[in-house]
Amino acid sequence: MSARRRDAAARGEPSARPAPRGRLRAWREQHAWCLAASVRRLAERPLGTLLTVAVMGFALALPLAFYLLLGNVQRLGAALGETQAVSVFLKPGRDAPAAQALAARLRGRVDVAAVTVKTPQQGLRELAALEGFAPAVDALGDGNPLPYVLVVEPRPELARAAVTTLVETLRTLPDVDLVQDDGAWRERLDALVGVARRAVQLLAALLALAALLVVGNTVRLDIRSRADEIAVLQLVGASAGFVRRPYLYEGVWYGLCSGVVAVLLVLLLELALAGPAARLAGSYGGQLGFAGIAAPVLLTVPFGAALLGWLGARLASARHLGATMPH
Amino acid sequence: MIRFDQVSKRYAAGQEALSQLSFHIAPGEMVFVTGHSGAGKSTLLKLLALIERPTRGTVTLDGQNLGTVGVRGIPRLRRKLGMVFQDHRLLLDRSVFANVELPLVIAGVPPEERARRVRAALDKVGLLAYEKQPPALLSTGEQQRVGIARAIVAKPALLIADEPTGNLDPQLSLEIMQLFADFQQVGTTVVIASHDLMLIKRMKKRVIVLDHGRLIADLAAEEVA
Repeated sequence: MSARRRDAAARGEPSARPAPRGRLRAWREQHAWCLAASVRRLAERPLGTLLTVAVMGFALALPLAFYLLLGNVQRLGAALGETQAVSVFLKPGRDAPAAQALAARLRGRVDVAAVTVKTPQQGLRELAALEGFAPAVDALGDGNPLPYVLVVEPRPELARAAVTTLVETLRTLPDVDLVQDDGAWRERLDALVGVARRAVQLLAALLALAALLVVGNTVRLDIRSRADEIAVLQLVGASAGFVRRPYLYEGVWYGLCSGVVAVLLVLLLELALAGPAARLAGSYGGQLGFAGIAAPVLLTVPFGAALLGWLGARLASARHLGATMPH
Repeated sequence: MIRFDQVSKRYAAGQEALSQLSFHIAPGEMVFVTGHSGAGKSTLLKLLALIERPTRGTVTLDGQNLGTVGVRGIPRLRRKLGMVFQDHRLLLDRSVFANVELPLVIAGVPPEERARRVRAALDKVGLLAYEKQPPALLSTGEQQRVGIARAIVAKPALLIADEPTGNLDPQLSLEIMQLFADFQQVGTTVVIASHDLMLIKRMKKRVIVLDHGRLIADLAAEEVA
């Protein structure tokens, strides 16, 4: 830079060029002008600006919304399947001593950490506590069709395969009617959430690309409609950077505003879902609240969107300002 | 200040706009370039502002061979000269003040100084009272004077004008030309392309006459009558 300045001085440029110490100030002045120009442009056509921001905002809100739902499904799954507990339903008619005897036998196994015996009465009480089941339980009167249940907790350090072997063994016991393996259910949910997560990532990438194209196209149209102004700026000596700058700012504004719109939409969604979700969680007996998207993630959204807007504007301006440059 | 050395310009379409043109203009001179339409007047000015490049020959401006100025150097070169156009090329959605201010913004001049210099330029062309108006509300002659104020606001050493009086009546044309003569008085080199021979004769300045891209006469001021 200093070499260039010496050069300019040697050629004796007469100029409106600022003194060296004014360089930073000149740079600031130019940016201030371009910033004001970009804001004026957006304000000149409020409807168009609003529509662009809305389209981009929705496009960015969509993956955020899926991300929110997915996070909560996963939390729910984690809470429900926290233990790898295996429920062993005994055949109907097996009495308390039989259940206790079997429990004692199972406690003796090396792969079992603990066994709890649930009596039919306990089972009925649990059922009655669940939402919507109370009338059904009342209708049973004095009869209790529920069997004894042994809740077998495998040793926590056991691998999944070992747990499966244990489950198979339990199934072959003569007193056992049914073995329900909660861990397997959890595993399937995890796999499902994994697939959904990948789908959401893909969707987010596609919609970010869509947002990029929206900004790019808007800026492209703006550049086209301002061809005369661009020509004037170039004729009075504006550098390519100076001509481009207002459009880059424009892209940043579009991105930033749409990012804010997306965050507001997601916050609205959280607000709308929090109540019903809490009731749903309550019905499963959990203390599980509804979890919103973490604040740091939400904060990065507008900035990420602004970057996207800048990139879109940069691509559009590289392509279309070149056409008006002199030979 | 300006030297054309065997300069030819052939456009892509094939027509030769200038052929083997050579002349020299000293600093502080005021020169009219005239000829029929299509004689190459505009092309000559475009070569000076690097809107076009010559096919052959060299154009030297202020000691600098324009052939060595790359695309990135063009903006800086244009900042050294003031340009006035027949269609004035103003930004119609901005005020008169903002239009005149433009070259100073591009040069990065601070706002207070910009305001001072813009008002001085507008005062010079007699439009100080119109600074807040949009150019569209002004008459053609006034718009042209805004264009002139914009061309001189950064105090360029060279002022070039392409048919600056093309759309004006004789009285207004003379006023505009007088304005250019005033800038010459303070040391600015002025080159004006015009086909208005009556006006050129009244101004009594050097005249370069082109015909089909060739220089057919170069009259000194005292030869113009």
